[in-house]
Amino acid sequence: MKLTRIRIEQFRQFRQPLQIAGLDPGLNLFTGPNEAGKSTVVAAIRAAFFERHRSGSVDDLRPWGDASASPTVELDFETGGVAYRLSKSFLVRKRCTLSSGAQQFDGADAEDRLADLLGFRHAGRGASAAEHWGIPGLLWIQQGTAHDIRDPVAHATDHLRTALNTSLGEVASSGGDAVTDKVEALRNELLTPANATPRGPYKEAIEIEAGLAEEIAALDADIAAYRNKVDRLAALRREHEADDAEKPWLALRAQEQAARRKFDEAKALGARLGEAQQRARRIEDTLALLHSQLERHGTEQSEVEQRRAALSAAEDKLTAAQATAQQWQRRSSEAAARHDAARQALNRARQRDTRATLARQLDELTRRRDAARATLAQADTEAGRLRSARQQMAATELRSADLATLRAQQQDIRTLRLRQEAAATRLRFTLDDGRVIRIGEEGLTGQGERLLTEATAVTLPGLGRLDITPGGADLADLGRQEAALLDRHAALLARLGVGSLDAAEARLHIYMQHQADAQTAEAALKARAPQGLDALRSDLAMLEGRLAEVTQSLARLAGASDDGLALPSVNEAESQEEAARASAADAAKQRAAADIAAANAQSAVDAALRELRSAQAMLDAPERAARLAAAQRALNEALAGQAVAAADIDALTAQCRDARPDILQQDITRFGGSAEQLERSASLRRDELTRLEVELQTAGAQGLDERRAERARDHARAARRAAELRRRASALDHLLTLLRSHRSALTRRLQAPLQKHLDRYLQLLFPNAKLDIDDQLFPGAMMRADFNGAESGCFEEFSFGAREQMGVISRLAYADLLREAGRPTLIILDDALVHSDDERLARMKRVLFDAATRHQILLFTCHPENWRDMGVAARSLEALKAA
Amino acid sequence: MLKLLHTADWQIGKLYGQFEPDDAALLAEARFAAVERLAQLASVQGVHMVLVAGDVFDAQGVAERTIHRLFNCLRGYVGPWVMIPGNHDAALSESVWTRAARLGAIPPNVTVCLAPGAVQFDALRVAVLAAPLTQRITHSDLTSAFAATDSPAGFHRIGLAHGSVQGILAEGIDSSNPIAAGRAAEARLDYLALGDWHGCRQVDARTWYSGTPETDRFRANDSGRALIVEIAAPGAEPVVTPVVTGQYRWLNERATLQVASDIDVLLERLATFGHVDVVQLMLDGETDLAGHARLRDALAQTQGRVRSFTADLSALRIAPTDDDIDALAADGYLGDVIAELRTLQGSGDGKAETARDALVLLAGLLRDRCTSDGGAS
Repeated sequence: MKLTRIRIEQFRQFRQPLQIAGLDPGLNLFTGPNEAGKSTVVAAIRAAFFERHRSGSVDDLRPWGDASASPTVELDFETGGVAYRLSKSFLVRKRCTLSSGAQQFDGADAEDRLADLLGFRHAGRGASAAEHWGIPGLLWIQQGTAHDIRDPVAHATDHLRTALNTSLGEVASSGGDAVTDKVEALRNELLTPANATPRGPYKEAIEIEAGLAEEIAALDADIAAYRNKVDRLAALRREHEADDAEKPWLALRAQEQAARRKFDEAKALGARLGEAQQRARRIEDTLALLHSQLERHGTEQSEVEQRRAALSAAEDKLTAAQATAQQWQRRSSEAAARHDAARQALNRARQRDTRATLARQLDELTRRRDAARATLAQADTEAGRLRSARQQMAATELRSADLATLRAQQQDIRTLRLRQEAAATRLRFTLDDGRVIRIGEEGLTGQGERLLTEATAVTLPGLGRLDITPGGADLADLGRQEAALLDRHAALLARLGVGSLDAAEARLHIYMQHQADAQTAEAALKARAPQGLDALRSDLAMLEGRLAEVTQSLARLAGASDDGLALPSVNEAESQEEAARASAADAAKQRAAADIAAANAQSAVDAALRELRSAQAMLDAPERAARLAAAQRALNEALAGQAVAAADIDALTAQCRDARPDILQQDITRFGGSAEQLERSASLRRDELTRLEVELQTAGAQGLDERRAERARDHARAARRAAELRRRASALDHLLTLLRSHRSALTRRLQAPLQKHLDRYLQLLFPNAKLDIDDQLFPGAMMRADFNGAESGCFEEFSFGAREQMGVISRLAYADLLREAGRPTLIILDDALVHSDDERLARMKRVLFDAATRHQILLFTCHPENWRDMGVAARSLEALKAA
Repeated sequence: MLKLLHTADWQIGKLYGQFEPDDAALLAEARFAAVERLAQLASVQGVHMVLVAGDVFDAQGVAERTIHRLFNCLRGYVGPWVMIPGNHDAALSESVWTRAARLGAIPPNVTVCLAPGAVQFDALRVAVLAAPLTQRITHSDLTSAFAATDSPAGFHRIGLAHGSVQGILAEGIDSSNPIAAGRAAEARLDYLALGDWHGCRQVDARTWYSGTPETDRFRANDSGRALIVEIAAPGAEPVVTPVVTGQYRWLNERATLQVASDIDVLLERLATFGHVDVVQLMLDGETDLAGHARLRDALAQTQGRVRSFTADLSALRIAPTDDDIDALAADGYLGDVIAELRTLQGSGDGKAETARDALVLLAGLLRDRCTSDGGAS
């Protein structure tokens, strides 16, 4: 379909007629700023086609405020090789004509004819709505709706499908979808849609089957237990019958009794053995008693003998002891005598030595006394000398402090004189020869000088007298000081007994000499008598005393002098005396010991004698013989009894050993225990039998096998049903899968032409991209490969700009499809693609230019600069309005 | 002349899990009815004695009610019943028999031989040598004691045992409870009545398996019988007459569908089955959708007619023809799906069965659609 001319009058802003003629069969570009009337042109075209001329709902078409207007649109177009003119007026003057050559349709006829031609519908009542618009609704893109494609496609689906089927010339399944839906519904009764897990009756059947299988398993267990009990019962019965028949514990009890009897016999034997042993022990005791009795009689006899022998032995010993004692008495006397002699010799030797010593002491003392006397005399002399030196010293003593005072006073006096001289009035005189003056009493001649320290009268002979009073206030004071000092000096000199300082100095010298003398004398005295004279004197006295003493001692010894004898030395005498004393002591000790031994021997002899007498007395007792005979008789009897008892014991011991009572005891335990064991197990078995019988009767009453058979029957049925449903479910599932895959394969085949057109544009927009078309012929997932790798997404997920671009190219593809099916195609783009960036817009321009080679495209834009490169001149609406 | 009724393997208390519960209940009930008929038969035939050679009960643990019911079923014959336990109801220390005795359910005319030995019926001049099973399984021949068991002179010697006669049954089967071949002759028996084998079978001139009086499995040949045994005099060879006592026929059918007419043959065969038939059908081969639909309808009809019916179609392939697909109006991708399912049927694994089920389902859905469309138009 191609529009060739548009004329609009009294239509919204176009109160005056607007005519656009000479429209290009390809691309037509209309430009104008906002409000220039682009959308009004589009609205006029839409109204001309879609709105019934009689519609009362089109008030918005008239110019604002012009109630008398009749909005009119006149269109010239060509489709299917036939030229048409459509003229439509609304509201005040409602009119519609469609003419083609000589043919003309009016009113509703014209409108219906138009709808058939272009593939849309009219609204039954009121204003036309999107669902009526069909093919034009899809291809005429209103401002800002290019991205919205789902609804327009839906409204045009029938036309598109028809176009596809026509182009394919193929008949799609007439009821395939209904069958598929039915299969899906049936399948979903048995399987969940998502996971294909059993549900509904199928699940129920599986559960019933499983439940029955469980019941059967439980019954099987019960039956197995029942059978085991039956077997156990049989075994118990057999054992019970065997026991009843044999009663094995009876034999064991008999054996136990026998063992017990034997054991009792053995026990009696043991008792008898014990008795025999006791009897033997009693006899032994008696024997021992008798033996000791007889022994005692024998001992009494021998004891007398022994005592006698002992006595004589003791007497022998006494004799020997006494001999020894006598011998030692003699020897001891001799030793004592020898000791006395040695002692006397020693005394004499000692006296001799004492005398010699005293004599030596006397000599020594005499010599020392003489020496002491001499020393004392010398010391006395020295002492006298010292005394005199000291007397001299005392006479000349002058203390050096006093001397120093004297010297200081002398110095002070000199100093005072000098100060007086300094302060004194110096009177120098030079007198002519022979002339004399007097100063005071002194006459002066010649020349000289005098110092005047006090008022002095100078008599100038012949001239008078000069009273000269020296100036200086202190001169008098100095004079006084000097006088005081001179007094003190004179007093000191007087006290010291010297006339002057020089005399004092001389006296000190003398004193020093005396002092040296005293020191010399003192040293000499010290040498003679270090402890002083008195010490010397007492030493002398002491020596005198001792001398007297020694002399006396010597005198006393002089009487016993036996120096003429040849006496041994004291040491020798001492050792001889020592030896003699030891020998005497030893002899004395031996003698004492011998005496004691002799005394002991004597008392032993006495004791032996006593014992002998007493033993003899016992032996001589009168009743002793009778007792001895009786004991002998008793002994013989006891010996006989012992022999009998020993034989008894031997016999009984042998019997006991053979009887083995310990083993018999074990036999009793063993047989008794075994019998008891058997009896108990028999009793337990009886109990168990009873219990089992009751249990089995109870269990048997339940009819387990029959119940199991019933369950098995039910289970078999449930299993059959589950299997049937499983087969049905898998068949349905399989069938559904097949139906879907075949359906989608068919859909793909059907949509191939559309896909082809779409791919053509898509490659211009996105090279290497692939866009699916779904069952509803709606763009679905797109796969794109770019430098980021492959990505895929749904139409709804694209950006607004991309959706707009995809919306446009999809519509172009539909247009191609419709055109191939011989349907009219007119594409109107009102301010489309305003959201595209420059690069995309450039690609879209190639797309549009390509589409314009097959379809008429009316493109309205307020951005003429964007579309300069479309190879067509832009028509400015403002220019058209002005024309 | 001595006249006996020989029966065995009543298997009272047996349930049939492989069938639907209603059918199974009737089949279980039929076993009691069979015993009642045996009592009837014994009375009518005027036999001197009924011999039951083991497996009276199917299990030890049957319900008390079942025990009572069984012995009540014997009331139709007041003569002596001689029973031995078999492997299913062996005379264990505690068994269905001791329970029955405790319950007081056993009528006085019933002799249960719980221990091996001879039971003498002086009036009849019969000694019954019984070899009851006292264990669930024995590997020794319990009848070996028969020869050494004496009977009064002039008495009939009748053996009663339960087990497998050696050498005549299928080889390789572990024959527990063995019975030596030629036992009747060896033990000087006039007749040896055996149980355990559910089909009626003669072993030798004096030895028979009576089989079960009511068939209980598909593979038991000649079951559902009892034997009338007539012995002219001790030592005389018995005259044995099988009598049908079973109520139901157990049929194990197989069919292979190859050409369209095979279905017709099968349907004719199915039409012959009646209300006393217990049928098990196994099909293999191939059919088209139309044939399958016919088959399905016929199977449903048979199901309603016979006592019990189970059909195994797992080996049958469905091969839809172009006509089928046209008839189902399976255009577009539905046609493709049918084609793929047809191919998948040929694959060897479990997918084949799933594919066949899916195909049947799809065909069903399409047919329903056509029908509703047709109904609407």
